[in-house]
Amino acid sequence: MNRLKNRRPRGAALVDILAAAAVATAILAILFVAPTEATMGLAQRIVYVHVAMAWLGLAGFLVMATTAAIYLARRDLAWDQWSQSAAELGWLASSLTLATGSLWAHATWNTWWTWDPRLMTSFILWAVYCGYLLVRGSLEEPHLRARLAAVLAITGVLDVPLVIMATRWFRGIHPVAPKMDPAMHGVLLLSVAGFTAFFALLLVRRRAQLRLDGLLADIDAGGVWTAECGADETHPTPHTLPFTLHLEE
Amino acid sequence: MTAKLWWMIRKDLLSEYRSRRTWPAMLLLGILVAVVFTVQMDLPPEGQRRIAGGLLWLAILFAGVLALDRSFALESEDHCGEGLLLYPVSPTAVYLAKLLVNVFALAALEMILIPLFIALSGVPLLAHPWATLLVAGLGNVAICAIGTPLSALAAKIPERGNLSALLVFPLIIPVLLAASEATRLIAEDRLGAEWWRWVQFVAAFALVFLVSGTVLFDFLVED
Repeated sequence: MNRLKNRRPRGAALVDILAAAAVATAILAILFVAPTEATMGLAQRIVYVHVAMAWLGLAGFLVMATTAAIYLARRDLAWDQWSQSAAELGWLASSLTLATGSLWAHATWNTWWTWDPRLMTSFILWAVYCGYLLVRGSLEEPHLRARLAAVLAITGVLDVPLVIMATRWFRGIHPVAPKMDPAMHGVLLLSVAGFTAFFALLLVRRRAQLRLDGLLADIDAGGVWTAECGADETHPTPHTLPFTLHLEE
Repeated sequence: MTAKLWWMIRKDLLSEYRSRRTWPAMLLLGILVAVVFTVQMDLPPEGQRRIAGGLLWLAILFAGVLALDRSFALESEDHCGEGLLLYPVSPTAVYLAKLLVNVFALAALEMILIPLFIALSGVPLLAHPWATLLVAGLGNVAICAIGTPLSALAAKIPERGNLSALLVFPLIIPVLLAASEATRLIAEDRLGAEWWRWVQFVAAFALVFLVSGTVLFDFLVED
């Protein structure tokens, strides 16, 4: 019966405030603290968001694949929910990486897109995320969906080392680790930390939402009634449920 | 194991020989793409040598995905896949058999497309036959190593449309680029360290996805 409750743990509001404060601080630091770069000017400030998004796109991939592997080992749909949450947020971060990178490239290289291994591998990661979400969207049965998505996530994550290796193996024009002013470096770290905290919060919230979705699907299917309430499988009686779903605090 | 593997390969090849449902379409598509591509190669010889490798591998990929897609789609008809898994062999053997059939299909495609590209464009892709054979072989295995498990995955999805191509293309892009570059360097008669690095890249890619495909295939076929 406990699994039907959705009470938020104590201190959740404080975590929300801290995450919002972290990302707000990062944005303010990007706009007002970071010095303006001499050659690229204001456009260089895109880099602070771009690097944070690229990191989150990569981190989302690792979380997606790790939780997918745990699902395959344990067959617990909770891990699949983490995997899906990470994939959706990773897709968002990956899309923003491509968008911000393209904006920065136009300002710096005078082109929206160019042949560069790191750009291509970022695009490949984004496309794999798209494929993963397409597969999930094409299947109804939760465990089949989780299993196939997990295999795809693990296959996809094997592409990640290429993102790292590509810049070393191939000659590209993308900067790998350019020297930065200490103030710029500090803002970059703050941005990465702030956006990471914000995305972690979104990850937890999305997973909680998926968990509730799963419970509602169980109720619709009659699984919860028969398993926990002893209701007639063919004639569930929704008005006599002996529990309460705490959807809101 | 080897005998059982051969029987499964033979089953697929015999089925294809009798039905002729995949290979003729694959070969025709490859030829059409090659002709269309080479028509666009109205460039000086240096330009042709520069782009021939990329266009050749694009043609191989476009047509090859057709064979990859069909390799498990056939098994999803009339519950053939369930019968296949009832064989007293491990799923790994089923995966290897499907992989090898796909390798044969792509090898047949390459044997037609490479001479066709040479004839239509005049680019000396066979100036170093062993080098071309190595790149074609490794690229072939790399494409099949990624494509075979993804084909099995896509076959599990009803109303899947062209999903397997959507899943395969992003993962194959690095192999496509590496094989294209290696082929370009062969055409430009530059078999140096750079060429060898691209070849190593394709080999590493093939190895990674061969291992992962072998391990993950069990999860794809369990029901």
